[in-house]
Amino acid sequence: MILDLHSHSIVSDDGRAKVENYCQWIQRKEIPIDGLVLTEHRLYDGDSDYRPLEDQFGLLIMKASEVETEYGHVLVFGVNDELRAAFDFGRIDLPLATVVQESERCGAIAVPCHPGRPRVGMCAHISTRGEVEGVRVIETLNGGSRGNENEQAAALASRKGYARIGGSDSHIVSHIGRCATRIEQNVEDIADLVSVLKAGRCEAVSLEEGQWIPQN
Amino acid sequence: MDTAELKRDWVGRTFDTVSFKIETESMLLFAKACGEQLPQYIDPDHPDFQAVPNYTSCFHGRRALPEGFPMAMEQSFDGGKCVEWKGAIRAGDTITAKSHLHDVYEKTGRSGGMVFIVHRMEFTNQHSEPVAVVDWKMIRKTG
Repeated sequence: MILDLHSHSIVSDDGRAKVENYCQWIQRKEIPIDGLVLTEHRLYDGDSDYRPLEDQFGLLIMKASEVETEYGHVLVFGVNDELRAAFDFGRIDLPLATVVQESERCGAIAVPCHPGRPRVGMCAHISTRGEVEGVRVIETLNGGSRGNENEQAAALASRKGYARIGGSDSHIVSHIGRCATRIEQNVEDIADLVSVLKAGRCEAVSLEEGQWIPQN
Repeated sequence: MDTAELKRDWVGRTFDTVSFKIETESMLLFAKACGEQLPQYIDPDHPDFQAVPNYTSCFHGRRALPEGFPMAMEQSFDGGKCVEWKGAIRAGDTITAKSHLHDVYEKTGRSGGMVFIVHRMEFTNQHSEPVAVVDWKMIRKTG
């Protein structure tokens, strides 16, 4: 199963894509993904109901969050009411350790994203702030990365033994599915996805000439 | 600058109200600048002649920020405008724009920290019907 685990809709302040338009684009361009996760910036979108779009387009559409910590941005999968009460998703200076620990306590998982990105990626902060306990998965393929940012992320994953995911980080329609995550089992909902990520049964992949290629 | 304080103290208070008389020439110039080709936007004789949907993005109030707001315009850069169309604007209308700060929030990106100040102008016509909402983002770098 192929899922784009990092995308933003107009619910995010800088998102320019409606979810329906993502679905139409995936269908029209025959992008071979089975679903996507909306990781809105600094919030969890508890209101939007994408089930009609799931039925219409045959895609799995799940919701998560992208929060901001002193180590950079972090995707949180499996957000629930308990976790939303545990810390303020709107802050830009959340302690990563808190996000990781509270996510675990509430049955979710925190995944640092674009770790190779300057200022808002984990690699830039490890040398000054130290290693972070509890991280087990990071995003090593991000569709918005520049230069060798994804390579830096992959090197960190190799060094620390982290599992890897990929996501387009799309903010506009045509960027959806630029890279994604391959999961060797069926995922039906966000709880399934959290289980898969916790078990590390995932692989970052990029789309090249219609084929999903694993990251080196 | 504490964004929670800014939000609490400044968001939601109308600080400027200004009216504009809509003239055909202005509508046509804006449509031309946009490269518009549909006749209802570029032909004054069209029975449904009206302003292009993003026309209100060209209007400014008398102030960008409320008096006493603890940040000068010169300290920020333009983060762009978002126009929500609510109704047709036609030649001869008088539209009124009321301005307030809609939101203040922080975010971080590869270039560092930023505070976003969202200036909202709500436009109504002479019948008090809403015609547009324009959100203008001003960005201040914080680190």
